[in-house]
Amino acid sequence: MENAKKKLIQFKNVQKSFGDQIILKGIDLDINENEFVTLLGPSGCGKTTLLRILGGFLEADEGKVLIDGKDISDLPPYKRELNTVFQKYALFPNMNVYDNIAFGLRIKKVSNDIIEQKVMRMLRLIGLEGYEKREITQLSGGQQQRVAIARALVNEPNVLLLDEPLGALDLKLRKEMQYELKRIQQEVGITFIFVTHDQEEALTMSDKIVVMKDGEIQQVGSPAEIYNEPKNAYVANFIGESNIIPGTMVSDRVVRFDDKDFNCVDVGFKPNEEVDVVIRPEDLEIVKPSQGKIKGTVDSVLFKGMHNEVMVETVLGSHVTVNMVIINDSANQKDEGDVHISANDFYLDLEDMKDIQEKDLIARADAQAWNDADEQLSIERVETDLKEELGNYDITFYTQGGLSITKHIRVVDQAVVKNEKKNEAVSAFNFFKTADEIKESVALDTDLKTWANAQAWKLDNEDEGVEVFAEYDFDPENITEGVYPVTFWTKGRELKVHTTKNVEEGAEVGLTFAPEDIHVMEKMGYGS
Amino acid sequence: MLLLPMLLILFYSLIKPGNTIVSFQVTLANYVKFFTDKDFLLILWRSLSIALKTTALCLILGYPIAYFIARSPQKLQSTLIMLITVPMWINMLVRTYAWIGILTKGGLVSTILSWFGFQDVDLMYTQTAVLIGMVYNYLPFMILQINTSLSKMDPSLLEAASDLGASPVQSFLRVTLPLSVPGIVSGITLVFLPAVSAFFIPKLLGGGSWFLIGNVIENQFITVGEWNFGSAISVIMAIIMMLLMSLVRKVDSKGKKEAA
Repeated sequence: MENAKKKLIQFKNVQKSFGDQIILKGIDLDINENEFVTLLGPSGCGKTTLLRILGGFLEADEGKVLIDGKDISDLPPYKRELNTVFQKYALFPNMNVYDNIAFGLRIKKVSNDIIEQKVMRMLRLIGLEGYEKREITQLSGGQQQRVAIARALVNEPNVLLLDEPLGALDLKLRKEMQYELKRIQQEVGITFIFVTHDQEEALTMSDKIVVMKDGEIQQVGSPAEIYNEPKNAYVANFIGESNIIPGTMVSDRVVRFDDKDFNCVDVGFKPNEEVDVVIRPEDLEIVKPSQGKIKGTVDSVLFKGMHNEVMVETVLGSHVTVNMVIINDSANQKDEGDVHISANDFYLDLEDMKDIQEKDLIARADAQAWNDADEQLSIERVETDLKEELGNYDITFYTQGGLSITKHIRVVDQAVVKNEKKNEAVSAFNFFKTADEIKESVALDTDLKTWANAQAWKLDNEDEGVEVFAEYDFDPENITEGVYPVTFWTKGRELKVHTTKNVEEGAEVGLTFAPEDIHVMEKMGYGS
Repeated sequence: MLLLPMLLILFYSLIKPGNTIVSFQVTLANYVKFFTDKDFLLILWRSLSIALKTTALCLILGYPIAYFIARSPQKLQSTLIMLITVPMWINMLVRTYAWIGILTKGGLVSTILSWFGFQDVDLMYTQTAVLIGMVYNYLPFMILQINTSLSKMDPSLLEAASDLGASPVQSFLRVTLPLSVPGIVSGITLVFLPAVSAFFIPKLLGGGSWFLIGNVIENQFITVGEWNFGSAISVIMAIIMMLLMSLVRKVDSKGKKEAA
């Protein structure tokens, strides 16, 4: 089938950079006659750049663009046999609907009676008969959209380029225009190249989808191919919703994730190769815990009209509990005349000491100075006998006027809680605070994280942070001196399930799936 | 309050010399005097014609400059706009005096021309000198107005025109030019109005030989002391301008409707 169609447009190693930013990294792509092709990707993936190179509004740094086998790289836009529907329509405001649509024909010196015939036929095609004398400003967004399409189509191009043409329309109108565009394409029978970041739009309209990311093509295929057989986790996640779980390939047709082996249909991976396992939310079925291949707890249930979207936590998150010591206010504050200074004792991790700076010490001690007018004063000087060894050290903070406060630093070997199953680690420190500081905090959860220096990160990539949440049992408004536990935790692995069953939040459930619903793909540097 | 001086001038134009606000006689004699004197009518005609020439020259020179500025990169644009406005930082009278040095015999222009064999060229006190002075002073207004309407234009309109097969020239004639009409109209207004009533540019650069209506009004008030006649000429000028402006506004509103 595919081979029977004629290649109309060929991109050969097309590259483009703006300054030192590489936008297109050598695109090779063939587009056949009469196809509805969608360039799909997030903003900045290069899809619009590729379209503009085809339209002639940008020049490629490298590579060629062929139409019907002829290199068009050097042709200006007005000599190219294709037309564009621009993102914001770009209708001529000084002309009415008729004149806008007739523009291209008048340039080509087509006789007036033929222009009239063609414009009227276009108005019928787009369903705007009787609108020819309207000014552009009198049209709604959807009508302007249609005029822009008619203005391009009336020239009978072989290819119509559409640059996110539905982006400015509201949801309902966008759906209507999707069908409208598909109908128009089938009726006029020419190639449409459509740029969008909306995967649903792409799935609805296209014969062929080109998924792009960071200036590279990830996958080219029909909507069904791309949806059912995504080449990698990126495509899987971009097209439709997906659960992506890190795993390893045990052998052909067996993949291991979350410490269990599962049957699948994928073959051809190296033994023990690290892979991404993709499972679509609609392929997961909720059953009794005893019947499930995976067990978990229902975290949330969202009603989505046709189905419920259920988040099931299958692997617990990590957590670490530290002590918050609430001490007497007066020990933390010194006053002299109308100047005040305050600071706290604090813990430091031996590992963090390598490149610690004065400003870090001030932040960790939460050292502050102010006057009676409540103006913040700067901490002028910090003195400490801190060494890169375990132990207790003094630290003194000075204001410009010489008022000082001395506190202690406890350098400890901080235990890190590791969670191999979730590939993450979490750590936090005990800390000292006064009751007033707790009461005055406007964002207590965030402050607690700062004070305890609570952090979580991926085990395989320490630079990749994981979100930490704080949990506590005390009443911040009425806290008194004493020791309070604070727990910092990360979210577990949640799998998204689309189901028509009703489940309760907090319920224990089992999840099951068929071997062919597991899609194993090569691992790429894309987070889960 | 704003209208009070205008009303006073209208009042003065309708009374006899020597009358006061409390005892006066209404007369049309001042108007009759203006329209029956061939010299005054000639000066009026000359004023209108030199203002028209000034406006036309400003448009011809200003449009390409405004176009060039609007098409240059954003950074350069603001620098160029500033360069256009720099002369306005200096008093108009002083700027015009500077032109005497350039145009007079033995001045810059005649010196340069003498190198090419044109001896003793003296442009001072000619229509050319007055025109140069006027265009120099009013050109920035034209450039700024046109530039504003050009830089407001969505550049994707030109891409669209090109996409539909229009060559750069066709794009300009069918899209850019029609869309800059509002800028052209307000540029014309801002140049023509002051040009028609200018008095010290013709006085300085045109001398006695290029007397314009502004000079006549100035003379009547300051030298001759005929306030009533001076007021009448002012009222006549105001009416002429009002008529011209309503005409311009008609074109403008048509242009605006098209541009909107």
